[in-house]
Amino acid sequence: MSGDFSLPVVHNAVGIMAPFLLAAVGGLFTELAGMLNIALEGLMLIGAFSSVVFASATGSLFLGVLFGILSSVLIAYLFGFVSLKLKANVFISGLATNLLASGLTVVLAFKLFGSKGVIQFPDAPRLPVLSIPALQRVPLLGDLFIGHNVLVYFSWIFLVLAAVVIYKTPFGLRIRATGHDSSTVESVGLKPSRYQMEAILVSGFACGAAGSMLTLNLQAFVPNITSGRGWIALVVIYLGNKKPLGILIASFVFGCAESISNYAQGFINIPADFILAFPYIITVIAMVGYSAVRHYRAKKV
Amino acid sequence: MIIAIVLIFLLSNDPSRTIYYFFIGPFTNRYYLGNLLNSAIPLVFSGLGIAVAFSSSAFNLGGEGQVYAGALVTTAVCLALPNANGLAGGIAAIIAGTAVGGILAGISGYFKMKWNADLLISSFLISAAAVLIVNFFITGPMDDPASSLLSTPKIADQYRLLRIFKPSKLDISILFALLAAVAVYSFMYHTRRGYEMRMCGLNPEFARYGGVNTKTYVVLPMVLSGALHGLGGGLVVTGTHHMALKEFTFGVGWNGIAVALIAKNHPLGVIPAALFFAYLEAGAKAAMLHSDVTFEIASIIQSVIFYLVTAQAIFSFVRNKGRENA
Repeated sequence: MSGDFSLPVVHNAVGIMAPFLLAAVGGLFTELAGMLNIALEGLMLIGAFSSVVFASATGSLFLGVLFGILSSVLIAYLFGFVSLKLKANVFISGLATNLLASGLTVVLAFKLFGSKGVIQFPDAPRLPVLSIPALQRVPLLGDLFIGHNVLVYFSWIFLVLAAVVIYKTPFGLRIRATGHDSSTVESVGLKPSRYQMEAILVSGFACGAAGSMLTLNLQAFVPNITSGRGWIALVVIYLGNKKPLGILIASFVFGCAESISNYAQGFINIPADFILAFPYIITVIAMVGYSAVRHYRAKKV
Repeated sequence: MIIAIVLIFLLSNDPSRTIYYFFIGPFTNRYYLGNLLNSAIPLVFSGLGIAVAFSSSAFNLGGEGQVYAGALVTTAVCLALPNANGLAGGIAAIIAGTAVGGILAGISGYFKMKWNADLLISSFLISAAAVLIVNFFITGPMDDPASSLLSTPKIADQYRLLRIFKPSKLDISILFALLAAVAVYSFMYHTRRGYEMRMCGLNPEFARYGGVNTKTYVVLPMVLSGALHGLGGGLVVTGTHHMALKEFTFGVGWNGIAVALIAKNHPLGVIPAALFFAYLEAGAKAAMLHSDVTFEIASIIQSVIFYLVTAQAIFSFVRNKGRENA
């Protein structure tokens, strides 16, 4: 591939990966707390809808993102309440949350704007793009890391923060302990369900931000705009071996796959579905290979 | 239930009509009732598939891809043999679809047995890739150019299963679903292999000490689970749609997990659980057609019911209340 072709692909990949990264880091908290959080998709969708609606109504980007995050956290609270307080099965309540999100967003869109299809918000403020001309001239670095919207940078900060919280604070330790063996947490007089609830709220926060990126970039809401990104975020968590750095790499892989498939449609004659299937296949091979290596190593010892 | 009714009052201009159609609508005529029963069929198969896996020591998160791939392969075999005998060709097609489902899930089981690779992740990823590849075939090489749908051509008449409850789409595969539930039940609860499989699920250490080869019982339940999903997919083609459409089995795999969880992984419990699921879906459709609510509102009501259906706290609360009153 020539340089002027691959650089924009990777540059786009860095932008595309941000929602995966945000949602996956949020989901990492629930995963570590011992819950399979399949509601990421629905939480993102809620954030996507309400952020663009509020951004357009208030004219403020900040308020839009804030309300996007708040509504996603609110639904996450509902999800947590049903799962933890009412002791519903987390899987089924997660499935229900996704259903609720896809129904609620369309119903509200129809009530507010009278349309069940694509709704344009031309007056919604655009996400500002960070451009530092001086840095942009630096080869590679400037090409890849400069010129993204602010939420992309937010996703990186969030990743670092999350890593610190998970590994360096008592809160993170308790979350991990809850997922590892909740009876230990109970034995020191703490409530595992409290930490699980907080993990769910963190995932709501992250998914709200991830969702707001999708709609604010487009200045439009499309029903089910998340189109499986929440599920991919779940894959990213596993692929990243439930570690922040792993998640960063995994979401980059998915970003690249989507970016390449966007480009390839114009250039090469490979069906987009195959390119999109590629990261899954590579992941399976990598995961199985990793397990095999670990298996034989354990045998030698 | 109360919450659902309150929601309908909030969202509908004609609540009584909506409530009537949501809850009673599916039973008002043969067409709705038949379609309700028909949409339960794939859920029974995927629910059984999940129940087999979860009550053993296996986890299958790949139902989505297994159903879809099973449906595609069944269609492909039917299309490849346009003039074969209906029974023989049909059985071959269904077996091929079942086999593909079994293989997809079996791969995960094999990797688990051989190298202890995580079943949840590998089954989920393999299925996600399978969905995309099936999409490619349906929209690419197997697309019917004569139709504006993203679908394969229709399969030949002799493969189509008998409709038994006209004018609805219900076909004889509902009998297969019932038979499958009974068969899975007898296998799991009345054979030595089934017993050993469940033992591996309950307590693998105990099973190993008892001389059970726990390794085989990782692969077997996965293959069975995938095969049931594939079979369900195949029957959707020969029974209901007569072709494979893009993403037409979307959600069956995930809903199958919910069905199995509601049934507490008991094979016979899967039948009422699947019917309950299908009932909510049918109620939503009936309410949409006959009153002013949209399908999306129905899905909100559905979600509330799901929230509450497994909420153990509510059940025990109600039970305690009952005891206090008694």
